[in-house]
Amino acid sequence: MSKRIERELALLAEGGQKTTLVPGKWSSNDVQCVIYHDVPSSGGEKGLPATADIIVPVPSGYPASTIDFAGLRVGSPFLGRVVGAIDAHGSIEANGLQWQVVSYHPHTGGGGPPWDPMAHGFHTYVTELLVWLSKTKEI
Amino acid sequence: MQPKRKPFAYAKKTQPILVRGAEPELGCLFKALLSRYPDKEWGTFAWFGWRETPYGLVLTIANLDLPKHGEMDTEVGNVVFHERYTLRMALSAEERELAPGVIHSHPEGCQTIPSWIDDGMDTYLADYFSGFAPGRPYVSLIFAQNESGQVSASGRVFWKGEWHRVSRFTAENRQITLFGYQQPSSRQLLGERALRTRLESAFGTEAAARLEGSTVAIIGASGTGSPVIEALARAGVGNLIVVDPEHFTDSNFERVHGSVRGDIEDVPPKVKIAKRHINAINPNCRVITIQGSLPQKEVVDAVVWADVIVGCTDQEHGRVALSDLSVRYLIPAMDCGVTLEGQGGNITGQIIQMVRFLPSDPCVYCRKMITPRIVSQELMSDEERANRQAAAVLEGNRPANPYWQTLPQINTVGYLTTTAGGMMAGYAIGWITGRFSPPFSRLQINLSAPWLGVTDDPVTPNQNCPCRRMRGMSDQGQVDMFISPPLHWKDAVVVESGPKERGFFGSH
Repeated sequence: MSKRIERELALLAEGGQKTTLVPGKWSSNDVQCVIYHDVPSSGGEKGLPATADIIVPVPSGYPASTIDFAGLRVGSPFLGRVVGAIDAHGSIEANGLQWQVVSYHPHTGGGGPPWDPMAHGFHTYVTELLVWLSKTKEI
Repeated sequence: MQPKRKPFAYAKKTQPILVRGAEPELGCLFKALLSRYPDKEWGTFAWFGWRETPYGLVLTIANLDLPKHGEMDTEVGNVVFHERYTLRMALSAEERELAPGVIHSHPEGCQTIPSWIDDGMDTYLADYFSGFAPGRPYVSLIFAQNESGQVSASGRVFWKGEWHRVSRFTAENRQITLFGYQQPSSRQLLGERALRTRLESAFGTEAAARLEGSTVAIIGASGTGSPVIEALARAGVGNLIVVDPEHFTDSNFERVHGSVRGDIEDVPPKVKIAKRHINAINPNCRVITIQGSLPQKEVVDAVVWADVIVGCTDQEHGRVALSDLSVRYLIPAMDCGVTLEGQGGNITGQIIQMVRFLPSDPCVYCRKMITPRIVSQELMSDEERANRQAAAVLEGNRPANPYWQTLPQINTVGYLTTTAGGMMAGYAIGWITGRFSPPFSRLQINLSAPWLGVTDDPVTPNQNCPCRRMRGMSDQGQVDMFISPPLHWKDAVVVESGPKERGFFGSH
């Protein structure tokens, strides 16, 4: 694990957010992924679970490259309810599970601030994930 | 009668050790060290970043921990650290990853060979710090200045249970002569110098000697890099590290110096063309060639030995990596890019951009000169880029998924890249010889504009930027590093590892 990611995950742990860094396969390519466990959602009123696990791939060349995407377990009730197309980016196999990748790009015009590797990281991306899970569509 | 001095025990198999410093720490250091000149010494504890490479150990002066009032003995002429100072450093060592060390002066005009008192101090402190900073080097440096202001130095490092002599010092804007160092003066080199009499008469004999003893890394051996390599080889630079991941293609022929017709069929790695060309110009030049890119480990391992790095990749991630290296390993660097602009069948812009990266300069992010989307696209695999572009089209080219935008094709021609490369080589020579420095921060010139359309973009560093706290931290600053090598890149290959003798990585 790079020291940079190690520090960012430690910061998340200090704030009570559990994460795991795991190797994965995405379109037959090796990719490192961060799994955010039990991220709170506001979906209770809409009949959705109160939390969800979310996978985020570590981009090539991180932190120079922008963190984007978010993935949910295949079959997750949040799929189709969260922002972003679900059929364009395939799935990631990681931690013994299949994760559906959703086209969520908060730092490239998708609602968050422009990517700044000097300020942003996996420790701040959790904010984008919280926003993501809180804005679920009604069906 | 004085007892016979027991010789200090150095490792039988010593390894090259480079110590590098930069401003403003060096200015502060010399002000302190010379504060009791000309007759008395002074000293300080310091913290060093370090990187262990296959070629030896590189150390960078990251911070000085100057003595506070009462922490050193002012009554005596030599350096005596009081226990409270060493204890303060020991406790500090437990809270950081840097290597501890002592830097002290000898009186004006004196040799910098360690005295028996220095032997005792170093033996004691190396053992003392091993308990507080296990697994880290302990560094001891001695500087002295003569009446003419010339600085000489010696140093030794306790590393993995053995003492090693520092084999090389490099310092931004300062010339520091290693104690006992003799400039190359073989007949062969004297003969070589006859080939550079114009340069020598313009810059001086000492400057020519510095070039012979210097190491320059060139990142990118194509249009801009190849003329840099050629100019430096002709100028007599003694050691060149050439890095490029690509093989030669026919479209390179118009720009790559040293390429010949046969290369169009053979498609050799560009670094092999560079090596062949260097050898043809200066067979005495020692060359390392690596087929790879920054920041791959094999590339960084070699490049951290350079006195100057010249970046010629003309890619955004290359600039990010160059800026990171310059800041963390205190290496003066320069980046270059060129482009042609056209409209209505006319060439309207012939633009050269040069960016100076001194360790104290603002980083690429302080300068706001990087577009993260472009960096992301450069760094993703071809497959990922194609997938993302296809997906973005499916999604209707939404602003939130900008990857449908293709990377711009940078148009260049040989005369423009040669002009840029020649200028870059000139500034590298200026740095190495100490005769001049790039008088700009980020220069753009346009060969098609009146008065060449010269612009500079001086920016001050953002004091809150991580680049300020990672200065000189070497590998111990990895937590703040700007970029990592993508998993999908091919492994870097050291094509020519260069001579193993001390010349390359040893005394300069």
